[in-house]
Amino acid sequence: MRPLLIAGLAWQDFRNDARLSACAVLALVAVIAPLLVLFGLKFGLVGSLTERLQRDPGVREIIPLGGGRFRAEFIEELAQHPRVAFAIPRTRQIAATAELLLPAHGRGLTVEMLPTAEGDPLLAQVAPPDGLQQVVLSFTAAEKLGARAGDELQASFSRQQAGQMQWRRTRLQVSSVLPLAAFERDGLFASLQLLEAVEDYRDGRAVAALGWQGEEQGSASARVYPALRLYARELNDVEPLRQFFAERKLLVSTQAAQIAQVQSLSRNLDLVFWIIASLAVAGAVAAIAAGAVAAVERKQRELAVLRLLGFGTAALLLFVMLQALYSGLLAAAVAGLLYLLAEHGLNRLFMQVPGEFASHLLPMHYLVALCAVLLASTAAAALGGWRVARIEACQGIRDV
Amino acid sequence: MIRLDGVRKTRGQGAQRYSLEIDRLHLAAGERVALVGPSGCGKSTLLDLLALVLAPDAAQGFALGGEDVAGLWRARQLDRLASWRSRHLGYVLQAGGLLGFLDVRGNIRLPRQLLGLGDDGSVERLAEALDVHDQLGKKPATLSIGQRQRVSCARALAHGPALLLADEPTASLDPVNADRVMQLLLREAEACQVTCVVATHDEALAHKAGLTVLRMACRRDTDGGVTASLERAA
Repeated sequence: MRPLLIAGLAWQDFRNDARLSACAVLALVAVIAPLLVLFGLKFGLVGSLTERLQRDPGVREIIPLGGGRFRAEFIEELAQHPRVAFAIPRTRQIAATAELLLPAHGRGLTVEMLPTAEGDPLLAQVAPPDGLQQVVLSFTAAEKLGARAGDELQASFSRQQAGQMQWRRTRLQVSSVLPLAAFERDGLFASLQLLEAVEDYRDGRAVAALGWQGEEQGSASARVYPALRLYARELNDVEPLRQFFAERKLLVSTQAAQIAQVQSLSRNLDLVFWIIASLAVAGAVAAIAAGAVAAVERKQRELAVLRLLGFGTAALLLFVMLQALYSGLLAAAVAGLLYLLAEHGLNRLFMQVPGEFASHLLPMHYLVALCAVLLASTAAAALGGWRVARIEACQGIRDV
Repeated sequence: MIRLDGVRKTRGQGAQRYSLEIDRLHLAAGERVALVGPSGCGKSTLLDLLALVLAPDAAQGFALGGEDVAGLWRARQLDRLASWRSRHLGYVLQAGGLLGFLDVRGNIRLPRQLLGLGDDGSVERLAEALDVHDQLGKKPATLSIGQRQRVSCARALAHGPALLLADEPTASLDPVNADRVMQLLLREAEACQVTCVVATHDEALAHKAGLTVLRMACRRDTDGGVTASLERAA
């Protein structure tokens, strides 16, 4: 058997029967192109929705509700949990505000203080503040203060003791400003130590690191936090973490329902796609097999001559299968082009957000589709082409 | 080259039965014979047996070029039969038997390609000798019957076979063209020292071409079936 010679002969016969070959190719295109569009829509829509959820760290946030009592060790353990991306304690809300002033501009603003550290999903590419004197400002806070990275702010913290208002000021350097999408409120991201210092000051305790006077500190390990900032590593980790808290009788608020909705949509579209794909592939396999049977019948004389010239059964079967393979290859290429046109149109019609798609396929999807088409074509042709085994050289050679 | 002893082939049953019985047919290498007889007397069946495309029902002896063909059929060694056919046999079919998807050059070259033989100029030489050299780029459908027959002759000889079989190679041609094709075929076969077995109903043409004539005859048996045989053994 000479595979290259057989491939060449099969191609010449395929070209010679151009009209019939075109019919076989178009029949396959009619199956493959809609499947590509359907899968492109499923992957594009669900992918965009999922990506949108993934992009927003808020969706992965788990917020404890009600007054909690969390110890530092528990939160540290939680931070090591494989499903957790970031966990840090929060001080009491009432002690987590600061009044900021940019002396150069004379503008003041009261902002929410949030503890942060390395790995904070809200900070993304921004480096966390270093030490007690550095902070990261939210976009709106920086805008209102007219502050930029590198500016020095004056922060004031007040407390009421024995009916008297007391103030302490400290200088904070703006290490970075967050993009608007990361945090849309007026906020200041600082190290946990700064927030603990402010909480201590407001509770009337002394803060040695900042030189603020007050009552002597108790044991640091005894500190109990009312809340924490907690982010799941992946969307799929949100629900297990909710269950983790539920098992400990801790009420939390999550976006699990929204995530489940997208995942349910993905599953349902998967089901619809596979049902349609199965029916279409079964139809295509039947059509290719029938085409192979018809081709063997139609080409019986030529196949008999090839057998007379020395072709064995395997060579004849390869001849028939290669022609189905050529149909599959051409059909996959044409269907791919048609899909690209459809994808372009669908994305123009339905998508306005850059980077999001109504219909989208990855190179891997094209490769898998091509392999599936070639496999189905070859298998179906082998199924229909087994009749070549019955062709004897003495049959039909008198007619050609 | 050819040794057939007690070879039997039967098709059908009862009144539909057709049997071919060859008691003895021995041909030396380079010998050229014509199987002559009326339609249905078994010429094509005998050619198919010699072409190894039809299995004998029984054979006391069946050898081609020293190869035990009967044994290969008994052992169902179809690949070896196909290989022998591909390497040593050239077959000119009545209607040409050309492949429509190949041009004339491709048709003539195919047996050589199947054997992995390189281009030694034999395609052009044969096309020239058989007067189809100006048709090499054309598809068989555009050729006349005479041209197709000559292309078929060229294809049968292109790989230098030891045995050339021709089944009514001139049946579709007018007498002038028939004579010409037969002469061209045999001239080339003689030049290559090829053993030739040509089936024809035209005994005069066979004589004129210098072929040894072997007559085939058939008789109707008591069961209504037909038995064909070689009337005069070689």
